[in-house]
Amino acid sequence: MSVTTMLAPSARNSTSSTSSSFVPVTRQNTIGSDGAPRSVRASKRYSVTALYLSMSAQDKDMEIEDELARVQKTLRDLKSRISSQSKKNFVLEKDVRYLDSRIALLIQNRMALEEQNEVASHFDESSELQEGTFPDDRKTQQYGNLFFLLQSEPRHIAALCRLVNMAEIDSLLQTVMFTIYGNQYESREEHLLLTMFQSVLSAQFDTTPEYSSLLRANTPVSRMMTTYTRRGPGQSYLKVVLAKQINNLIELKDLNLEINPLKVYERMVKNVEEDTGTLPANMPRSVSAEEAAENPQVQAIIEPRLTMLMELANTFLSTIIDNINETPYGIRWICKQIRSLTRRKYPDAKDNIICTLIGGFFFLRFLNPAIVTPRSYMLIDNIPSEHPRRTLTLIAKMLQNLANKPSYSKEPYMAKLSPFVTANKNRISKFLNDLCEVGDFYESLEMDNYVALSKKDLELNITLNEVYATHNLLEKHAKELLQGRDTEHLTILLQELGPAPPQVPRKENRAIILPLFSRWESALDDLSAALDITQEDVYFMEAKSIFVQLLRTLPPISAAVRRPLNLKKIADVAATTKDIGTFRKGIRGLELLNQLKDLGVISEVDEYQILREEVEQELVHLGSLKEKVTEESLKLDEVYKTIRDHNAYLVSQLETYKSYLHNVRSQSEGKQRGKQQKQHVLGPYKFTHQQLEKEGVIQKSNVPDNRRANIFFTITSPTPGTFVISLHYKGRNRGLLELDLKLDDLLEMQQNNHDELDLEYVQFNVPKVLALLNKRFARKKW
Amino acid sequence: MQHRREYHIVILGAGGVGKSCLTSQFVHNEWIEYYDPTIEDVYRKVIDVDGRSCILEILDTAGTEQFTAMREIYMKAGQGFLLVYSITSLSTLTELSDLRDQILRIKEADSVPLVIVGNKSDLEEDRAVRRDRAIMLSQKWGRVPFYETSARKRQNVDEVFLDLCRQMMRADVGGSGSGGGASGGSSEKVYQTPRKRRFCVIL
Ligand SMILES: Nc1nc2c(ncn2[C@@H]2O[C@H](COP(=O)(O)OP(=O)(O)O)[C@@H](O)[C@H]2O)c(=O)[nH]1
Ligand SMILES: [Mg+2]
Repeated sequence: MSVTTMLAPSARNSTSSTSSSFVPVTRQNTIGSDGAPRSVRASKRYSVTALYLSMSAQDKDMEIEDELARVQKTLRDLKSRISSQSKKNFVLEKDVRYLDSRIALLIQNRMALEEQNEVASHFDESSELQEGTFPDDRKTQQYGNLFFLLQSEPRHIAALCRLVNMAEIDSLLQTVMFTIYGNQYESREEHLLLTMFQSVLSAQFDTTPEYSSLLRANTPVSRMMTTYTRRGPGQSYLKVVLAKQINNLIELKDLNLEINPLKVYERMVKNVEEDTGTLPANMPRSVSAEEAAENPQVQAIIEPRLTMLMELANTFLSTIIDNINETPYGIRWICKQIRSLTRRKYPDAKDNIICTLIGGFFFLRFLNPAIVTPRSYMLIDNIPSEHPRRTLTLIAKMLQNLANKPSYSKEPYMAKLSPFVTANKNRISKFLNDLCEVGDFYESLEMDNYVALSKKDLELNITLNEVYATHNLLEKHAKELLQGRDTEHLTILLQELGPAPPQVPRKENRAIILPLFSRWESALDDLSAALDITQEDVYFMEAKSIFVQLLRTLPPISAAVRRPLNLKKIADVAATTKDIGTFRKGIRGLELLNQLKDLGVISEVDEYQILREEVEQELVHLGSLKEKVTEESLKLDEVYKTIRDHNAYLVSQLETYKSYLHNVRSQSEGKQRGKQQKQHVLGPYKFTHQQLEKEGVIQKSNVPDNRRANIFFTITSPTPGTFVISLHYKGRNRGLLELDLKLDDLLEMQQNNHDELDLEYVQFNVPKVLALLNKRFARKKW
Repeated sequence: MQHRREYHIVILGAGGVGKSCLTSQFVHNEWIEYYDPTIEDVYRKVIDVDGRSCILEILDTAGTEQFTAMREIYMKAGQGFLLVYSITSLSTLTELSDLRDQILRIKEADSVPLVIVGNKSDLEEDRAVRRDRAIMLSQKWGRVPFYETSARKRQNVDEVFLDLCRQMMRADVGGSGSGGGASGGSSEKVYQTPRKRRFCVIL
């Protein structure tokens, strides 16, 4: 492993110089939440350190293998797994969504045969893609140039995002967010992606006449924001701030916190009727909203619920506010852009308007959807039952209200919750403003781009069809696209490539590794000029980075590493080791000490005090870095697990559909041939009560504990798509209960979120039953 | 008090097209100027349709695409649908097709009571959708009623709701009771429990 990969954990190929957990370089210096800006000069010096550290990454002959290096490697691996897994999930989700709608038609027998074939062809893609290479070297090179340009100059994609229609945007975003900028934890790609956001956002501000309609419609921009929030960092944030509370809440299945007087009244009437069989004369079945609200019994029911709701909403709010530092940088940065664009475009916009707009993104598009439909955000396993679902909706409404502070409630009963708004008004304004307090990254980005240019090994994991689809969109919108400023390079590349090839059939699609490089070499020599730093600075930083590396490589017992540090001695020791990398560094260290001395930057008299102190500081910092890295790894481990679980769920869903479709088709084939196909019976397979309980298939059991060991089940499939489940008691040769099941029924139940399958003694969980049947009775034909 | 029919209306359409403003004009005769995105609001209004009094429960929904996971539940409960777009944005019209498909799928029907509403007709100078675009869509869907409305000027607001009511009443009579969730309790589909055979039962 190379030096830099250790100093700067990055997702891929040590391309990056920075990362959220790496303090000495750019990100947390320029992007400190403390808001304290460093002097431009200081931050440039840091950037250059980054560059040196990064460039020596190519210096593959020197390895550091300390504790820090190891935890950093773990973190890096984790990040790259999360990135690639979330792309897979994104694609799977799209397939499942498509099939969700198709299968419903199939169940209703409303699908023609051709369409069945079309659906079936969908399964081919969801299986893993084969790896491959481009058919032709020249094309590899040309596309490598094109994608390098697209990646490093985000304005082209930004322009494209504004031109495409809603039908095209999904596949474009898939390529952009999960492929071109797919390394979600890598600062350069993240920053480029955000730059693209900014340009799309500001165009949106330019074309929207009044702020009341800003960011409201469903546009490519809003789709971009959704997709962005669904990447790894957004997901883990939601988990941190919401998962625990939502889970606590949905466990209280019977907790009814409805406060709409009409609904409360209705339920009251229903209860009375059920209990007594009649309705008293003074209790009409239906009343107006006003009458219901004035009913004393209704008021008595609502009163304590209001208090509880406000308490609940308060807990949600407090957790969100307390965790402001967990909020992903990119999301905060988008909030910041919304604020500054609003101020620039509408100079007289009041502070509350600005808060409303930030809330329109942060709450409306990010947090509240997850509160209202937590299952779609992988926060819970099952759809919540009616009461908790309503409670969650009410909480989301309260939070949205708070962010918007409308002067009046559209639904009169919501006015009763106004104490919550009054009490938290200032808190929320402060929070929304604090969200925007993050630094910019332009300088570090510029730096990262230099670093990227210096790399020989930039590459992209992409599929043939993604390449062609992107090319297609560029071609289709070329006229408008190439009108913009500074598009000569893009024009040339597109001309060289010629017409965009059509999509290849799913079977021929390949995952390829596309090497990226620039057609237009931009020289690194004039770097110090470009960054406006002196030769002294450059030497100083190189020296610093070399000594830090040496101190991490030399054995900890070596006399040279004892404090106070003796830089000369360190370099001397290194220059006498056998390890060639260390040796070179030692020599270079000695050279630099001399050069810096000649330039008068450091002096031997005080034992190079300035340099020595900085090196020592750096080491202290690296010590605490290890803890931070370990902590981050733990958190991401959780995220990875969630994403994996979700993946397993999606895959099993696809499998179910697959086998169902297979059945339908083989049945209709049978009919077409006019003869009954000979089907052989599968099973019976035996399952114990304990086993099914453990797998969650049994979600509730009425069998007394001491009898459970004697209960078992058998499942048989007489024909594809039909199953017989029987429940047996040990020692009896006849079953206690037998149940005929059709796959259609189960799927339909699942479609309708009807999760329980009642077997009198036990209740099965429908999705789990499906998964089980799937696993055991898959009739191979694909 | 007479026994009155109760109907569930769901208002769907992209964010910012004026669903809440239409609802508020219809229910409270009020115009709302400010920006206040909806998550889920419910209203009730008693109206007279051709001499018959009925209760409308109106569900105003989130147009924001992030909330689409909730739609399915709404569609199950609804009996009549207003599909709203804004005449100032073509994409809001094209979004309606997916909504209709989803409704039909969930309702397992070829048609449901439905009205296409092109709102913000007062913003003629910003018009981006010509009337005939929507008329074409209405034809394609089997002559679904179509109105242009202005929530701001309260033009055609009552008409839209009345039209939908009449459709729901007709469906109610024609469909011989099915879909008439008269008591307001959402009529959860009852599963014909898979055939069970039970034998001896002592545990
Ligand atoms: N000019 C005009 N503006 C309208 C009309 N209806 C709604 N609006 C404005 O459009 C914005 C969004 O309205 P709203 O009802 O909240 O949209 P919803 O998201 O569909 O519920 C508000 O600022 C309204 O003032 C209309 O008929 N004419
Ligand atoms: Mg609304």
